[in-house]
Parts: sequence; C-alpha cells; structure tokens
Amino acid sequence: MLQNGWDTFEIGTILRPFEGSISDASAILPEDRLYSQSNSFSVSVADWRIEKPLFNKDLCIDCQFCWIYCPDMSIISRDKKMVAVDYDHCKGCGICVQVCPTTPKALLMFPEQKDEEEALLEWPKKEKKEKEN
Amino acid sequence: MADIFELRDIEVWDGNMAASHALRQAQVDVVAAYPITPSTPIVENYASFMANGYIDGEFVMAESEHGAMSCCIGASAAGGRVATATSSQGFALMLETLYSASGMRLPIVLNVVNRAIGAPLNVNGDHSDMYMGRDSGWIQIDCYNPQDVYDMNLVAFRVCEDHGIRLPAMVHQDGFMTSHTAQRVKTLSDDVAYDFIGEFKPMNDMLDLDHPVTHGVQTEEDWHFEHKARQHHALMSAVLPKIQEAFDGLKALTGRQYNLVESYTMDDAEIAIVCMGTSVETAQEVSNELRAQGIKAGVVGIRVFRPFPLEQIADALKGCKAIATLDRSSPNGTVGALYNELAGALFNTSTHAVLTNYIYGLGGRDLTKSSIHTIYRDLQANAQAGSPTTPLQQFIGLRGPKLSFF
Amino acid sequence: MFQAKTKNLKNFSTSAERFEGANLLCPGCAHSIIVREVLNATNDHLILGASTGCLEVCTAVYPHTSWDASWIHIGFENGSSAVAGAEAMYKVLKNKGRLKQPDRTPKFVAFGGDGATYDIGFQWISGCFERGHDMMYVCLDNEVYANTGGQRSSSTPIGASASTTPSGRISYGEKQNKKDMMAIMAAHGAPYVAQVAPNQWRDMVAKIQKGFATEGPVFINAMSACTTEWKFSPEDTIAISDLATDSLVFPLYEIIDGTKLNITYRPKNVIPVRDYLGAQGRFKHLFTKQYEYLINEWQARVDAKWELLQRREEACL
Repeated sequence: MLQNGWDTFEIGTILRPFEGSISDASAILPEDRLYSQSNSFSVSVADWRIEKPLFNKDLCIDCQFCWIYCPDMSIISRDKKMVAVDYDHCKGCGICVQVCPTTPKALLMFPEQKDEEEALLEWPKKEKKEKEN
Repeated sequence: MADIFELRDIEVWDGNMAASHALRQAQVDVVAAYPITPSTPIVENYASFMANGYIDGEFVMAESEHGAMSCCIGASAAGGRVATATSSQGFALMLETLYSASGMRLPIVLNVVNRAIGAPLNVNGDHSDMYMGRDSGWIQIDCYNPQDVYDMNLVAFRVCEDHGIRLPAMVHQDGFMTSHTAQRVKTLSDDVAYDFIGEFKPMNDMLDLDHPVTHGVQTEEDWHFEHKARQHHALMSAVLPKIQEAFDGLKALTGRQYNLVESYTMDDAEIAIVCMGTSVETAQEVSNELRAQGIKAGVVGIRVFRPFPLEQIADALKGCKAIATLDRSSPNGTVGALYNELAGALFNTSTHAVLTNYIYGLGGRDLTKSSIHTIYRDLQANAQAGSPTTPLQQFIGLRGPKLSFF
Repeated sequence: MFQAKTKNLKNFSTSAERFEGANLLCPGCAHSIIVREVLNATNDHLILGASTGCLEVCTAVYPHTSWDASWIHIGFENGSSAVAGAEAMYKVLKNKGRLKQPDRTPKFVAFGGDGATYDIGFQWISGCFERGHDMMYVCLDNEVYANTGGQRSSSTPIGASASTTPSGRISYGEKQNKKDMMAIMAAHGAPYVAQVAPNQWRDMVAKIQKGFATEGPVFINAMSACTTEWKFSPEDTIAISDLATDSLVFPLYEIIDGTKLNITYRPKNVIPVRDYLGAQGRFKHLFTKQYEYLINEWQARVDAKWELLQRREEACL
C-alpha cells in the first residue's frame, strides 16, 4: 500500500474497516468478519513486547477480569470462557496479570522468547495442593 | 412534506433573499449556521421559511461559526445535502474547518457575503474574507448581483455534489451592495430548481450502517502529499468542465448565460479592467461610456475564483495593451492577489500588456465611476507608452496624499 | 427512567468488539479500556466521533483504522459538533424516509480528552448540550495534554507536575484546582451526567447503558489513568484507578436532569489521598517537608467534596 501513487486511493482519505458489507458488526465475531487491510486488526504489534502474558488454563476461574480490563482486545474469550491470548495485538502491558485474582495467578508475565511448555512447568503451584500432596 | 412556495416569475429580492430561496429550493437536509452581518438575513429568512412549513430539513443554530461548519462537516459526512452562510470575522473563525471540509471531500455549499476583516472592525463589503479562503481547497464562485446569487447557488450544489468532484463550494456576494440591495430576480419554480440541482446522492456516508467508514484520519509524511495532490487534481481537472456543464444547463433552462470568465466588450479591447463582485457592473457602465467615445475599453469579471481559470483569462485578455487589476482587499505587504494571478496567467503568453494594480473600496468605500474613469485614463497612457506610466500599485478612492508602491 | 442492572457479566454485552487492537495507544492505556466498556455496553449500531488527542491519533492514522463503526474526526475542539451534525442528519433522513437501513437506530457517541473537553472544545460541547442533540459525550479525563507530551489542562489537579507547570526548585507544579466539569454539564440541564472509572466496570457499564437509554445529551466524565504522564507502570492502570476511586479523589456519581444526584459507589475502606498521590510520579515532589501541607490540603478538599456530594444526594431524597 505504501507504494500507492496519488491517483490510486479513495478520495477524502477515508478508510473502511471491512471488505464489502457487514450487517451488524456487534453480532459477528472476529473470526467470521472480512477485515480489510485498512483495519488495524490486520496489523501486529507483537514487536512492542518485551514480556508476554502466558495463560495457565488449569488455574483460570473464568472471572473475565482480564477480558474486561485488557486495553488491547487481546484476551480471547468465548461464551464467558477464557480461551487464549491474542499475541498479534497484545502489547505486553501486564494488566491482565495484575487483575487476575487467583492464587497462583492464571496469567503471568514471561520474557517474550519463553517457551510456553517450559513456562507451564515452572508455574507456581497451588499451596493447598502442595499440602495435600 | 414541505409546502411549495409559490414564486412570481420575477421577484424583487436582495442577494440574501435570493440565497435563502435557493437553499430552500435545494431542499437542503441540514443547515447549521451562526448569524453575522451582513449574511444574517440568509439564515433569518431560512428560519422564517422553516417556521412557516416550507422546510423539511434540520436547522441547527450553532454557538459559533466554527461550531456551525463543524456541524456541517459531521452532517455532510453522515450523508446528505448541507449548506450554510457566513461573513468576515465568522469566516475567519470558520477557516480551520474549511480546510477540513475540502480535505475530507465533503460537498458543502457556503454562502459568503463578503465583508472586511478587522481590526479595525467594519461591517461593510470588501473581499478580505474571500481572499482568506483562496487556499482552502474550496470552489469559489463570485456573484455580481442578486440574480447571480440565486443562479450560482443552484449551480454550486449541482457541481460540488457530483461524485467526480465532491468538493465544497463558496458562493460569494458583496456585503450590502449585493446582499442588501433589492433587484429583480427571475425565479424558477420549486420543482424546476430542485430538478436542476438533482437529488443528493450519498457517498462514503457514515449513516450507511452496512458500510462503516472512518472519516478524518491523520496522514503523515508518507501519505499527506499524495492525498493533497489528489484533492488539488480534482479541483484543477474536474471542476471547471462541470461548472461549464451546469452553466450550459442553466442557459438551456433560463436563457441566462454565465461564463467561467465574464468578458465584456473584450473582442477588440486594447485596455481592460479585471475585477470581481459589484465592481464588474460599474466598470461595464464606464466602459460603455468610453466605447461611445471610440475608446476600445473592456471589462473582465472573474466568475470562478477557485479553481482559477488561468487559460480562459489569458485568452480573454489576448491582444490587450494595458490591463488594470482591481483588488478589494488590503494586500498587506505585496501586490494585490488579482495582480499576481493575472501576471501568472499572462506570463509565457504572447500578450505583453502593461499590467497595473489598484487597491480600492476597503471596508465598503464606494468605487465611483469617476475612479474607474481615472483608471481607464491611466491604462490609455500605459497602452500608448508601452510601459507603466504610473506606479504598479495605486490606492484609489483614498483620502490624503497619494499612496502607491513599486 | 431506565434502570440498568449490571450485576454480573451476563448483563454486559455479549457483542463482538467494535474497537480493534494494534492501535497505537501506549501499553496499559486506560483510554482503550474505557472505549471498550462504552462500546460493549450496547449492541446498537454506533456512529462515533473523536476530537484530536491520544485516542484519535492512535486509532486513525492512515492507512489504518481501529474503528469497526462509522467514525469521524475533524479537529481538536469540535468532536462534539461533528457528531451533533451527524445526529442532525440522521433525524432529517429519518423524517424524509431516506435512511438506507430505516429499521435500525444508531447511537451517537463523541469521545474527547480533557484538553478537548475542559479547555479548547468547551464551547462546542456547551452548544451541543444546550441544543439538546441526542448524543453521548465521553470525556477521557487523564488530567493532562498527554498526546502532545504532558502539558497542563484545566483538568490537571493542584500539585501535579506537568510539562508546562513543572515542579522545580521554587514551584510545586500546577497551581489551579481541577475544573468541576460535572457541575458545569449538569448546570446545562442535561438529562444525564455521570462520572465513571474503568476499574469500577459494573458501575460504568450501568451508567453507559442508562446514558444510551436516555433521550438527549449525555455527558460522561471517565477517569483515564495515564501510565505515561501520571508516571506509573503500565500494569498498574487498574490498581491506580482503584486508588483514585477508593480515596474518593475521583468519586463516582450521577446527576439526573441537572438536579438529582446519586452517589453510585461507596468504598468499603476509604484510602488516604496520600496513598493515591504517592503511587504516581507526577506527585513525587509533594512528598517533602516543604510541600507536606499540600497533601493535607488535598485530603481536606477531597473530604469537603465528598461531604458536599452526600448533602446534595440527601437533598434530593
């Protein structure tokens, strides 16, 4: 797109978030939308991160706090269930980890290059469980 | 449904009333306006039409001219016909948003009743506000009398809303001299006028909920130049042919002939005055008197100030020996804007006329026929000498010692 | 009046996001959290606008937009008027039968920062509210011109170090108290005026839903903790917001029809103002012997304001 000359884009500097028509964006999930290349959804900010949040499904109570407070629409939640972190759009702010109410937390920050499997193995264990063991 | 306003074939209207009726007949969807002398009656008349059932649209009485044009921009981007009116200080306050309207390619019609800009404060007509708008990316059409105001409003809507253009348009008239002077105006019936303009066809409209659109984005050095170039290209290439097409349509409908450049007895003219607004008709009268004496005098009136019809003006002045450009705005540090425009138009052509500049009529000072006679006498001397016999820039109609430069 | 009930997430919209990621807002920016809470509070179609500021320059820089609903920006001062104009056009096209989707009723929302709201855009907002456009204006109040590098606005509180009122050897920073925008907007007789904070999301969503159900102009003042200019770590945005609401520096209340005031959040444990100030770099210089008195004055001001709000509320009962 950066190669475009003055005569090749729409007048008035307008941008369209979707290709073609969309009847009701509020009713269509991202995976079912036809995003245009002009939608910032089509872009990644992964390179902003130094640390990334990793998600431990076993500890999650689906309180949705991380979803509510994520400034970057990067907590993927479906039917009130936390599914995953969207690493294309997560900027690594760490709010999700701060607001996670479980002990230990279901989300923790790790260095960007950290292997997920490895991180899950290193995850702090539930105190109660340890006592039972 | 708004009532039909029964008009006589010929009404006696001042320029403001002519504009108000044109806006009514255009069935403008949103008028957002703020009162300022001398354009106030345009919106007052419009409000009165509204109060009496002749208007279906929304009328937003904004808290300032800036707010008025901001509402106009929002309304236009939403997708409908939009118009307003202003003058002088109000125009100056609006200026920021004028650039937004053109850059966002929103076809808003703005009636500018030309008035001086303070300080010192002055309510009367000169062209300071019109000149202030000349780099704003708007189409600027100039009127000389109330009939012009009526016709050019209809033309403005038809031109600016065209999808090949989508640029806002100003319709200029001289404060008080046109806006408050009642003259005969030949009218069109409401239906005929509306049909001449045509229905508004939305484009990139925010209210098309199936096609969300982002208006008014930021562009930095990697994009801004291309977008500005695109806008300039539309203004330069599409507008004049479309205005000509509208003029032709109006002529077929009414017999009234308008031209991008209004040449008056120019065919064999050796000396010519180039001016705008009400001065055009005054200069035409004087040129008639000179013609009666066998002097080959002519007048060129600028009808379309932006985009500037450079080639048409050069053509109209072909063969002239001496030309005076009359500027009704204080040039504040250089020659008048029309002088510069004309010098640019004539340079590189075979017309090697002596070109001089007169500053006149600031703050509503009358341009008298006697002053125009003086100018034509200067031109005769210049033509005869083949070089300027006066300074290049002279103030005319000014009290005190003669003021001139260059 | 519409009674919003948002006790749990089920009442919060299940709609898909209409504000997109990979915008350019700072990591941890509260603006984005607030915008999401506003947009997610409704399934209605939306026509949006913004004034120049962080939100605008970070979400609509060519060739990308983060807005899934129609959106407009003109300038710094006139985001309110742009949306008001669109709302006026909607009314006309509805009356004239020219809407492309006549079965849908969009909501009109304008966003602006505190600079665009308290300062440069104040007149335009006042005009829109006086004329009674059916729209919501949301002020993202981060108490500073954050987009241009942290200059003071009339929302900047006393003692904050801003780039045009820096603290220094002989200055404690901003000298003027924050403008009471809530009172001013209520004085317009607006049908609904409310102060919200993104950490108290139930309260916020309930108010937004109430606002959307209200006919006429609605003013929402949303506290937006700014990691960059308030100088705290990005992960602490919600924690700082909690300190603001629980210290009552930022009380949560609503004013209906310009008169009836309801306090909508009463912290179980009120935190000293000192704790709120101490968590932010912009107030660091106050924690010296020389300026200790300013912290005490802050506390006294917050106490007095809370007392006033309670009296106002009682007066309406």
